[in-house]
Amino acid sequence: MAEFRIGRGHDGPARVGEYILGSTTFATPLLTSSFTSSDSIIAYGAIGRDEPLSEKPMLVSLPFVSQLDEISLPKIRDNDSVILPSLISLATISPDASELVFAYQQEVLSRITPSIDPSRTIIRIPSVAKPESIVKLTEFGSHGAAFSFDGQLGPRDFGAINLRSHLPLFMMTLAVGRIEPGLIPLLHYTGFDIIDIGYSQDAAANGVRLWKNGAEKIELGTGYRFCSCPACAKLDTAKQEDLLNILLEHNLNIYKTIISESKEAMRSGRLRWLVESTTHNSPAHASLVRLVNRELYPFIEEFSPTTGPDALPVIGSESYNAPVVRRFRDYVASRYSAPDNKPIILLLPCSARKPYSDSKSHKRFNAVIESALSGMESRVAQVILTSPLGLVPRELERIYPAGQYDIPVTGDWDTEEIAIGANALVNHLKKFSNSSVVIAHVSGGYLDIVRAAESKIEQSLIYTTPEGRATSRESLDALEESLLDLKEILSISGGPRTELEGIVSATADYQFGKGAGKVLVPEHAKLKGKPYRLILCTVDGEQVCSYVAESGTLSLTLVGGRLLAPLKRYWVRLEAQNVKGGSIFAVGVQEADYMIRPGDEVIVINGSDDVIAVGRSEMSGREMCELKRGRAVTIRHKKE
Amino acid sequence: MEESLSRINEVIRQATFQARGSSLKQRKKRDPTRPSARWTASARVGREQGTALAIVLSTIGCAHARSDSGGCTMCSYLLDGVQEMPTSDQIVAQFKFAMKELEMKRAPLSVKIYTSGSFLDNEEIPMEARSEILRLIAEDERIREVILESRPEYVSNSILSSIRELLGDRTIEIGMGLESVSDTVRTICINKNFDLLMFKDALKTAKNYNIGMRAYVLLKPPLLTERDALLDAIATIQEARRLGVTTISLNPVNVQKDTLVEKLWTRGNYRPPWLWSVVEVLREASSISDGWMKIVCDPVAGGKRRGAHNCGKCDTNIVEAIRQFSLSQNPTVLEHLTCDCISQWEHTLNHEDFSLVVHR
Ligand code: SF4
Ligand SMILES: [Zn+2]
Ligand SMILES: [Zn+2]
Repeated sequence: MAEFRIGRGHDGPARVGEYILGSTTFATPLLTSSFTSSDSIIAYGAIGRDEPLSEKPMLVSLPFVSQLDEISLPKIRDNDSVILPSLISLATISPDASELVFAYQQEVLSRITPSIDPSRTIIRIPSVAKPESIVKLTEFGSHGAAFSFDGQLGPRDFGAINLRSHLPLFMMTLAVGRIEPGLIPLLHYTGFDIIDIGYSQDAAANGVRLWKNGAEKIELGTGYRFCSCPACAKLDTAKQEDLLNILLEHNLNIYKTIISESKEAMRSGRLRWLVESTTHNSPAHASLVRLVNRELYPFIEEFSPTTGPDALPVIGSESYNAPVVRRFRDYVASRYSAPDNKPIILLLPCSARKPYSDSKSHKRFNAVIESALSGMESRVAQVILTSPLGLVPRELERIYPAGQYDIPVTGDWDTEEIAIGANALVNHLKKFSNSSVVIAHVSGGYLDIVRAAESKIEQSLIYTTPEGRATSRESLDALEESLLDLKEILSISGGPRTELEGIVSATADYQFGKGAGKVLVPEHAKLKGKPYRLILCTVDGEQVCSYVAESGTLSLTLVGGRLLAPLKRYWVRLEAQNVKGGSIFAVGVQEADYMIRPGDEVIVINGSDDVIAVGRSEMSGREMCELKRGRAVTIRHKKE
Repeated sequence: MEESLSRINEVIRQATFQARGSSLKQRKKRDPTRPSARWTASARVGREQGTALAIVLSTIGCAHARSDSGGCTMCSYLLDGVQEMPTSDQIVAQFKFAMKELEMKRAPLSVKIYTSGSFLDNEEIPMEARSEILRLIAEDERIREVILESRPEYVSNSILSSIRELLGDRTIEIGMGLESVSDTVRTICINKNFDLLMFKDALKTAKNYNIGMRAYVLLKPPLLTERDALLDAIATIQEARRLGVTTISLNPVNVQKDTLVEKLWTRGNYRPPWLWSVVEVLREASSISDGWMKIVCDPVAGGKRRGAHNCGKCDTNIVEAIRQFSLSQNPTVLEHLTCDCISQWEHTLNHEDFSLVVHR
């Protein structure tokens, strides 16, 4: 038996897990090589051709043999996992040849299954196969799949990653071939569990020292880069015949360093950032990352958590469509509805400090609004323009990633950012009444956004930063003046404070979809608390949810869950009638909403549609359905 | 064969046929009274030093390659042939033309007759032409050794008995493309279209007339890894020795025009064998043979991109050593060859097996 267990934690499709072969457990992501093995490197070799490096289980590949009876099954040790054979390059011969690669492996598999449990087998997937054929793989019984990389970072390597995105979730995923160190973060990010580092040997044999983002040809006696690794310390006094081993050791160190960096990045929610930072390795590498971003967005987004690190670096153009960024724009566009009674819409620039309200500039803006509209501040819809999130309604300023993202705030935006911003703004303003007035209190790049959108804005538009920065005395005075004027002209009158309602209601819509705000915060709801701390929302004397400023999100109570249940969103259906313990495991989930992402607030129901708990998801909805193991939901409240 | 393998064979057959494309119809016009090629070289004939003449007769070419079975995946010998079937007289004229090369040479002589197909195929070489050529050889007392080429299906008692009768006590060998001992490799990777049994039968028939067998062994047909190929060639030589083959001619694949191999090679999906593999197989072959078989190898395009090659620095030396070995049969000339690129070759043997990604 071989078993692959997926562990807790997400950063895109990247995962941690355990590959269990007999009594040995390898933690994934894991490297594989033919010349060294350890706890973090599993050995590989061809059966009957390479000797095992140690007692520990390894990955053995079956060579192509003319007669299936020739496969030397007795040589396969009890706990090794077995890569099924194929013919090199066969899949490239004709469009339907990939199917034959599968058919041949299936035949071999059926031949060896009496002595080898199918869970121990790994099926080879040609990079030119059709995605449809991947889905059928479940019938195979293999618990692993091997994808190959030619290292050109071209269509074939993209093909391998693309096919991987169609693989059933439970399968262990192996990447083999010519894999340079710089590719490891991307492979890890796109969900590969074991990565072949045979290329370290290839490079060493060619006299090449590999680096995180490139390679260096070494000629003894000439100059070379400084390296702090123990192998390279020997380089100065090395003889020609030592060179191969020194380079191999160095290359190995580089692979170990980079996988460890990648693992740590995932742990801290910064793997995406690490992947983005590798785009400068080479133009080919950049194209591959872009292609993956564009073509595999749904796959990557599905496993990207809705919560994240305290500071999310969003630096280059690769970030414009990072899953959490694009998802934020999508949710604001599709889920946010304009509150009633907002005669003034105020556009403001973002601030480096998050949440914006804590920044000096926004404190000044608020002071101006207060002094101009004392008591009627909530008649103003505040919209913060920013890149690459597009815009952030004030009510949502604390939610992930709006409250955490970190961009270089020079205000110099490229055309793509301006287009993203303008597009979001046009869409956003359409939700407001045409009789509202828009005040654009922005300059520089922010102003470019408004100008780009201007022709498609229906409301009247006032610019209050004639020259210079939004925080300058003149600009602030102009803003105050405009607000005072509008108060007159639009005869804005007071009314109940609606700030708390606005925050909770907008957050509810953002988290649970349109309409959720109306359900959780009906007319007669009672709200208490502070936007920067905690807001409690009570309906008919019972608490339905609380807004936690730290995360900018709502936590439901059971009552709140019951109110939301009829919307049929963010539900997880259990096989059991009731929840026992503090967690729900994937094995107990019967069905779940595929909209669920790791980190979402979810509603747990049973077979008779009773709401039996509320909690936080630990995986995506599809994982809850497909995986047999792992924590699906951490319970917050349950029916006693 | 497994069901999936026969389906693979069908795909390979079609791809080979397609790779051949229209090249068949585009064959050059040639003078039908001149052979495609002929050359002489000093050679060991029996135990003495002599001269060998090789003749490539210009015929309509190999029947297997002409048919819709597509021919072999690596072979474009057909392109050496002519569009229109030459007459018997014309073929004999080709032979006579080539024989002029031997006019001034002294005994012992060896004559090799190649046709880019099968010399024993009546459709390719009409019976009268064959008899006449053999008669001409029989008349020449200097010729002590004759090598003919044929696929096994044309080997029969009647043909061999008449050959033996005409050529008297001369040494005769039939060159035959066994390629691999494995029916699967021969079928799937080469599309050879005959099985081991046919080869064995032909060998037995030849033995009855005291005619030797020169087995062509292919090194690295497409769809095999470097190590698959290496081991397959060694296994083939082992079996050849067991069967009583008299000469092994090791042929490292070279990339020929309009073949499936070429199609794979242009897209980076095939690399001709390393010269290290050639050397390794020859060393093994020499020890397997233990003096019982002659072992020859002349790597076509050796050291070039389309032929067996190494890193570029060591190629000339190694090709030379291989030639030396073929002439002398002395395995020590294959020892002590070395170059930095040997570790790259070793890496390829191991990593290609695991990754099934072509290492170039
Ligand atoms: S290798 Fe021989 S049998 Fe195959 S196509 Fe060429 S000539 Fe014909
Ligand atoms: Zn180093
Ligand atoms: Zn070399």
